[in-house]
Amino acid sequence: MSELEAYRAKARAFLESMAPKYGRDARSGNTVEQDLALGREYMAKKYDAGFAGINWSPDIGGQGLTHLHKITFDAEEMQFGMPVQFFGISLGMPVPILIHYCEDKEFVKERVRKALRGEEIWCQMFSEPSGGSDLAALRTKVESDGNGWKMNGQKIWTSWAQYCDYGVIVTRSDPTVEKHKGLTYFWIDMKSKGVDVRPIKLAGGDSHVNEIFFDDVRIEDSQRLGAVGGGFGVSLHTLMIERYIATDSGGFGPHLDEFVKLAKRVDINAKPAIEDGRVRSAIARNHAMRAGLDSITKRAFAMMMAGMQPGPEGSLQKLVAVRSRQKLSEMAMDLMGNEGLAFDPHAYVKTDWGTSWLNAPTGRIAGGSDEVLLNTIAEKILGLPQDYRPDKGVPFNAIPA
Amino acid sequence: MSILYDEGQQAIATESRRVLDARMDKARLLKLLEQVGEHDAPFWDTAVEQGWTALAVPEEHGGLGLGLIELGLVAQACGAATSGAPFLTGGYGVSQALVQGGNAALAAQWLPRLASGEAIGCVAIAEGNAALPPAPAVSFADGKLSGTKPAVPGGQKADVALVWASKDGQPVLVLAELAGAARNAVDSYDNSRLYADLVFAGTPATELAAGDAARALVLDVMGRMAVVTAHEQVGGAEALLHIARDYANTRKAFGQPIGMFQAIKHRVAEMYGLVEIARANCIHAAASEGTAEFLTAAADARISATEAYDTNSRDCVQIHGGIGVTWELGLHLHMRRARSLAVECGNLVFWEDLLVERLQGEVA
Repeated sequence: MSELEAYRAKARAFLESMAPKYGRDARSGNTVEQDLALGREYMAKKYDAGFAGINWSPDIGGQGLTHLHKITFDAEEMQFGMPVQFFGISLGMPVPILIHYCEDKEFVKERVRKALRGEEIWCQMFSEPSGGSDLAALRTKVESDGNGWKMNGQKIWTSWAQYCDYGVIVTRSDPTVEKHKGLTYFWIDMKSKGVDVRPIKLAGGDSHVNEIFFDDVRIEDSQRLGAVGGGFGVSLHTLMIERYIATDSGGFGPHLDEFVKLAKRVDINAKPAIEDGRVRSAIARNHAMRAGLDSITKRAFAMMMAGMQPGPEGSLQKLVAVRSRQKLSEMAMDLMGNEGLAFDPHAYVKTDWGTSWLNAPTGRIAGGSDEVLLNTIAEKILGLPQDYRPDKGVPFNAIPA
Repeated sequence: MSILYDEGQQAIATESRRVLDARMDKARLLKLLEQVGEHDAPFWDTAVEQGWTALAVPEEHGGLGLGLIELGLVAQACGAATSGAPFLTGGYGVSQALVQGGNAALAAQWLPRLASGEAIGCVAIAEGNAALPPAPAVSFADGKLSGTKPAVPGGQKADVALVWASKDGQPVLVLAELAGAARNAVDSYDNSRLYADLVFAGTPATELAAGDAARALVLDVMGRMAVVTAHEQVGGAEALLHIARDYANTRKAFGQPIGMFQAIKHRVAEMYGLVEIARANCIHAAASEGTAEFLTAAADARISATEAYDTNSRDCVQIHGGIGVTWELGLHLHMRRARSLAVECGNLVFWEDLLVERLQGEVA
């Protein structure tokens, strides 16, 4: 057994020991608050067992293992349905950025320990009403205020902000230069005076995202991450950290086996649906597509193990997987007919077709919409030209509204 | 087997592309479309000279003893070049049946000749519109074949055929020398595939497997040929992606390269996605040779590669506009090949059904 396989076995043993108390079944019926409390407990157990900060340096409280160890653990953990959703962004982007840019190392160590144990949660405040895909169009502004800064504006779509203690934020510090050159990046205390977090209820009925208003919020200059005017670079760095993460060719919806089971259970015209050509074709095409994505993942993993840089085809995962999950969910609901009209707002997205369908649009938009991903593939991988950009080379405050 | 290509495999990929780039000629291929009974001799001479015929034949029979990964890489280069002869895949099907079938003398007789390119092999399984007829109409009795196999790829020039036939109500796989068989050339939309109806009237043949053993062997042979073909399809689909990208970068309309319009650039990005998914399936399938999951992986590769090549043919022409449908530009070489390869060695319906049958069994 390779060292990595041994690690996988060790991770699995730990997860199996945790599952009865923290796994999918144990969480069934929990309110968000109960689930969060359970999640914090689980994170502490994970920390004590040495599975927290897997690929982070021991100097700041990590395990000092490789990125592959982390993906291995995450892929195993994903199968158990642990209550980790609250901590994914926190530990995925804001905390690593704090580690990289914050100069007060004692402060960082304390934050890292508490974030890993689930005692504190960090959010990432990027999107605004004026721009999601177009990040550099943001308008939340900071002005010099003595030896610090004063912030006013609004962020939106911020995951779990209502439960967060800290956050990272990118703001406009200079509107007189080109839009991506006038940005500055900070960490802030979410309990600061003038920060107002309001949850947004989404189509599926849950409220994990928020809008956040800032009214004369005071920020110390020591909270700045990166140079004044260097915020766009730090933002890109933030988005690159999690480039190779554990993926799911099912688009974070039900596994194809669930669809096959359904097609074997229900009839079309008094014959099992699985005998129907339309259903067979959908199963086969989806299997071929998901197998391709799985193979891309396996190859990327093998390349990383061999010390190579994985190919750019990994960028297809979310694009292809989530939109096909959406369509397959529609077909599953068709197969269930009137039986599928009942809806349980607390059902699990990986086993319930209605929930998978209703939440799929979020997946196609969050973290890069399908259209932005297609643009990125066309421009960065294939070398096609950028779209027409009337804002290029123009100072932010001179861009036509 | 590893899903990362080693240095030797990378060299095969680079070298086969280089040789074909240097020697292929679009004008020659276009001419072949209007001729029945001709293949592209410079291509086949190249294949023999480069040892591609010997790649997957065992060393004890004069081959190089390599496998599906290496042959797949060559097929990918052939697909990019819309190469003008179907013999590599057919020859591979015949040699695999010989290697796995239980007749050592027959294997010793034919494998060295197939490896050297001296003999050309073809595979005759389909009948009517069925890729793998459960009870083939072509019959085998007293060592002789009777009946007709329609539009067999390479059938016009092959020396030997692997034939799926019926014997006493059981399927058999037999090997027939074609010297004594009649061949009716098919005038096709892709004529360098050399399709011919093979007409057997008491043609001598030798049995390789019967009953369940024949069913298992024919599926394995079809799976292997499907993986080679899928590589060829990926090569074609990728070539079309590059052609479309280059055209979108240079052709201008409304004062800008057409690649700046998302209607075009998103289409090109989707073409890329289809190629990479199919390529990943091909790599996985080739590396699964000989394992229990091989046929599932082969079906995945075949389905995604067919979708990629068909779609990219359609979309590459569409991106070109009027010039795309001209004889001279030759995108129709890919359109034609995309369809001929989609039908040869089992259409989508066949592979979709085969895949679902296997998944049905796995899910309780």
